[in-house]
Amino acid sequence: MNDELAETLRRTLQHASEQAPRAPGGLSARVVTRSRRRAARTQMAVAALAVAVVAGGVVVAARGGVPDPAPPAVETSKTPSAGKVNPPATALWSRTAPPAEKVWPDAVWKIPAKLLGGRAFQARAIIDDRTVLLETRNGSGRADALYAYDVRDRTSRKLTDVRTPEGVVARGYTAGAGRVFWEMSNRADGSYETTFWSVPVTGGRATAIGTDREVTGDGTLAVVGGRLAFSASEGGVFTIPLGGGTVEAVPGAGAHHILRWPWVARSDPNSASAARYTELLNAETGEPTEAVVHPGEYRVECGVTTCVGVKDGVTFHRLRDGSRERLIPALVLNNRMFADRFYPLLTNGRPEVILRDAVTGKGGDLGLASGNGPLGVIADTPVMSRVLDMRRADSHLVVDLARIR
Amino acid sequence: MDDDFRFADFVAERADALLRYGYVLSGNPHDAADLTQEALIRLHRAWPKVRRKQQPESYTRTIMARLHVSTWRLRRRELLAWNLPDGRHLDMLPSDAEQGLWEALKDLPRKQRTVIVLRYYEQLTDAEIAGVLGIAQGTVRSHASLGLGKLRSAVVHPSTMDGSA
Repeated sequence: MNDELAETLRRTLQHASEQAPRAPGGLSARVVTRSRRRAARTQMAVAALAVAVVAGGVVVAARGGVPDPAPPAVETSKTPSAGKVNPPATALWSRTAPPAEKVWPDAVWKIPAKLLGGRAFQARAIIDDRTVLLETRNGSGRADALYAYDVRDRTSRKLTDVRTPEGVVARGYTAGAGRVFWEMSNRADGSYETTFWSVPVTGGRATAIGTDREVTGDGTLAVVGGRLAFSASEGGVFTIPLGGGTVEAVPGAGAHHILRWPWVARSDPNSASAARYTELLNAETGEPTEAVVHPGEYRVECGVTTCVGVKDGVTFHRLRDGSRERLIPALVLNNRMFADRFYPLLTNGRPEVILRDAVTGKGGDLGLASGNGPLGVIADTPVMSRVLDMRRADSHLVVDLARIR
Repeated sequence: MDDDFRFADFVAERADALLRYGYVLSGNPHDAADLTQEALIRLHRAWPKVRRKQQPESYTRTIMARLHVSTWRLRRRELLAWNLPDGRHLDMLPSDAEQGLWEALKDLPRKQRTVIVLRYYEQLTDAEIAGVLGIAQGTVRSHASLGLGKLRSAVVHPSTMDGSA
């Protein structure tokens, strides 16, 4: 009954919204004029008050009475003081947690921000059990070099320079067969185009991997038995020889994306709830699996074994077959779950963000403050990504999710 | 100057979507336009900061939701900067069930309606709704539960909804 009402409500609101008035031409100019007029009025009022009030008193901003949300993006998902008054009712997680590097010492590394002469960098992949791939960025935020960081010796060495012209993004880093592979995708003019590159893990010159036709990658690569597998941005899984050559389609995976090889998935185009990656396929055996999605559920996104979603306003996670469902009555940042078991919880104090392991129930403080930007990293990380890198004030916290047992 | 261009781009790209959101929040075109205009003015005043955080849309939508549940509209100070087309929107929704629900939504108290819209149109979790409205999650749940209860009985017994709320 609830589910049916929820579905009807969703459809009703969607259809009704289409009856909304359209914005008039030049709306922006009219808004700017009003905004400036109001700013001038406020200034005049404040100036008049300053003259009139000789001592004491508080100037209240001449606003309409509704406090505007503070600009940081995460403000929209933070409950102010209400949570502290009544913890059980709060949207935010009220428990504390030890630092993530103490909870998972074998899988979490703190890398000093000044490691590479203070140049901006981000951990992008795991090369082997002691080496993390770092990508440095120029002033425009585009990748310009790759480094290997040894987590035991805490030393780094340069692998290669990378050239990313404006509009080109380097992504999909993966290591295998003694090399690091990645894709360079041009997204400048709307027509995406991808080239693949590689460099030996010992360092050297980056070389392009030629393909016999134009391709558009979605930023996910895997090294599989002497070939490089990639998925296309519009769906479809393909392989090419590591040295370049003919692009071959993986049978039965024409609309799929790589989650974690050999698992590829696609979204059910007929799903009313726009669930993502519910149809899973083993690209090696051809074995399909479909995730359970019930009517009324929304924002459902699946990994290889687990799905997260929302029903009745509460985030849930459960196995693909619908079993072992758990509700998370707290704010899961962006409703994401990584590597099938980790989800970032926003808390109501310090630490501010806890990475929680759904399998063991352990949680680790990521050492983030909502005032700065690293929460965006969590938002942008693909669901089956193995690495999380959170930039903190003077260090990076890098987590290899695959090493957490 | 560059900021103004970017603001203009944002308005050109997103104003229609914001109006649709304002329309389902408020249920009528005048309030939808009002909410959108006021939120955009406030966005413009905070634009340099908001743009740096790259979240102008969620900022604006949060303002609209908060304005809608506040008493702001009772002491509105400015007239709309454009004229809405005359006449009522007479389009009916595709099914009786939808039309019935849309009518029933009009009878919900404003906070209940806002929570329902944030949950089923914006597809937010209760935790996220609590953040947008600055209230406790338990309060979100109780608004949702009361609102859904009224909508359910209105759909089951369409005639009894008139005048209630």
